[in-house]
Amino acid sequence: MATDAGALVARATGVALQAHGLSKRFGKKTALDAIDLTVPAGSVTALVGPNGAGKTTLIRICMAFERPNGGRVEVDGVDPWKHRSEALRGVGYVPQTPAVYRGLDVDDHLAMARSLHSGFDAEYARKRLNQLGIPLDQRADTLSGGQAAQLGLAIALGTRAKVLLLDEPLANLDPLARREFIQVLIDAIRSDGSTVLLSSHIVTDVEEACDRLVILGAGKVLLDCPLEEARQAHKLTDSKSPPPGGIAVGSFAGKGLTRLTLWRVPADAGEGAAAATEPASLEEVVLGYLAAGRGTTGLQLN
Amino acid sequence: MFDRIWLTYKQQRFETLAVAVMCLGAAAWALLASWHLNSVGVPASCLVDGGVPYWNGPSNASWIPGACQLPSQRFTDALTSLDVGIASSLGDVLPFFVGIAMGAPLVARELEQGTAPLSWSLAGARWKWLAGRILAALLLIVPLLLIAGLAADVLRGAQAPGTDPHASFHYFTSRGVFLVLWGVAALMGSVALGALFGRTMPVVVVALIVCLFARATWEPLTDAYVLRGMTVLQMPGASSPGELLVYESSGLYLDGKPWQGDLDAWWNAHTTCTLTDGAESCVGPSYPGPQLAWYVVTGDHYWQVVALESAIMLAGSAALGALALFWVGRRRPY
Repeated sequence: MATDAGALVARATGVALQAHGLSKRFGKKTALDAIDLTVPAGSVTALVGPNGAGKTTLIRICMAFERPNGGRVEVDGVDPWKHRSEALRGVGYVPQTPAVYRGLDVDDHLAMARSLHSGFDAEYARKRLNQLGIPLDQRADTLSGGQAAQLGLAIALGTRAKVLLLDEPLANLDPLARREFIQVLIDAIRSDGSTVLLSSHIVTDVEEACDRLVILGAGKVLLDCPLEEARQAHKLTDSKSPPPGGIAVGSFAGKGLTRLTLWRVPADAGEGAAAATEPASLEEVVLGYLAAGRGTTGLQLN
Repeated sequence: MFDRIWLTYKQQRFETLAVAVMCLGAAAWALLASWHLNSVGVPASCLVDGGVPYWNGPSNASWIPGACQLPSQRFTDALTSLDVGIASSLGDVLPFFVGIAMGAPLVARELEQGTAPLSWSLAGARWKWLAGRILAALLLIVPLLLIAGLAADVLRGAQAPGTDPHASFHYFTSRGVFLVLWGVAALMGSVALGALFGRTMPVVVVALIVCLFARATWEPLTDAYVLRGMTVLQMPGASSPGELLVYESSGLYLDGKPWQGDLDAWWNAHTTCTLTDGAESCVGPSYPGPQLAWYVVTGDHYWQVVALESAIMLAGSAALGALALFWVGRRRPY
């Protein structure tokens, strides 16, 4: 009853996933350091950060695979650690390494998913795999990396879940397979309207699919904003002289060993800002925040 | 549910096939060995000690009645043949191989091959996922081990042609329904270890050691703590077919009554010694003197004992299953 109420509140407030003061430690290493995060319902959020930033840990906590040391997380209004089956009923998950059963064919995987998840739409998943030309009678351990990833995505989509958690599904794919994966994801999101949290350590891989950007670094949320805002509100210079109204974020090595500095520029900063600086690409925005998060630049994170 | 059961077999196709071959092979072997023994056709008049033919070993032939010499010789040869010997010992190991073969990979392989995050995320409630897999394993091993157990009962009947195997405790925990019970216990224990270790091979090794230990200690422990209340005193020399010797009396008995006295004095009083040409020769009494008696469970309590020990084994298996559910519920899927 309590979990149903939580889900109703989540729907009413338009929040699909929420973390409050969420912390996770593995021994002495802090994976997540009291992070707060809100993923609006219907959004497609890129969760970006370097290896070890805490992306996988965050998703695993959402899947009740890990127990947080502090704070709490709610997926569609339900705490997954306290109400695992209710929380996972509404979540589709794609793990970092494609999980395929040796000896079972593709269709067996769909049958397995249907037998485990009461709402699994095997026909829908089958249709998506057919569109990609993946034979249903092919043994899953003979699929290419890209095909195995597509099988994982088809299973996640087949759950018809409101929330999709994708844990670096592109990490082991070649550029063509990455592109294909993103296109299938975009197509599915458009038709299903799911909320997606898609983690990656390369922002350019996922920017086409996403409308929000969360940058995680050293267990902290360094940036959480709409993608468009991330693009427009940041400028780049090759010196330490700030653009008018600009607040230094971080500096990092650019091409030709030039030192580039990322600035956060308020919308009301005036025309001068644009004239004195270059617009920052998303990759540069991520680099600037990660450099600041590491604290190696001497520049202050704002 | 049917899909899940079928896919469990398909995932563990090697183990499923191996278990089926082991059980059906053992059953066929036991039946062939029974046929081998039955084909000797020992006459009822040649059965002694509650239904067993004379043991016609190298030094026994002299006191076996002439008409029983040949059949008992042929029966002894058949009983000590390799095929009967192997068939007799299969019941001691088969249920453990079967239980471990199916149970060890059930959780551990999912963890070591990285498929647990997918299946656990789809299942939501992990206990349902595990219960489905355990059910699939049970549906396979219970009928197969029952077939092997019943064949072992037939073999026992052939080894002692004058006894009812269901009223005899001879090797009773290595045949019949006990094969199923041992197999289920080994399965549950392996599943629990799999959930704890997350690796198949260590589970196999540890489960084998634990099963050997359990098998070796089961009968002494049940004799000491479970069956004592069901025993009756068995006077020396008054054995009945298929009885289960549970423990020895602490005092001596003579002529069916407790006897207390000086044993040396009794023997001296009942021994006649004569001195002939300087050499002393003594002749003892023609009947057994004061002896220790046995507390036994008689064969007519067979089903009562089977029910009691089955309940204990099933309770143990259920506890191991609960432990497996607990560990699967708590652990990380990688």
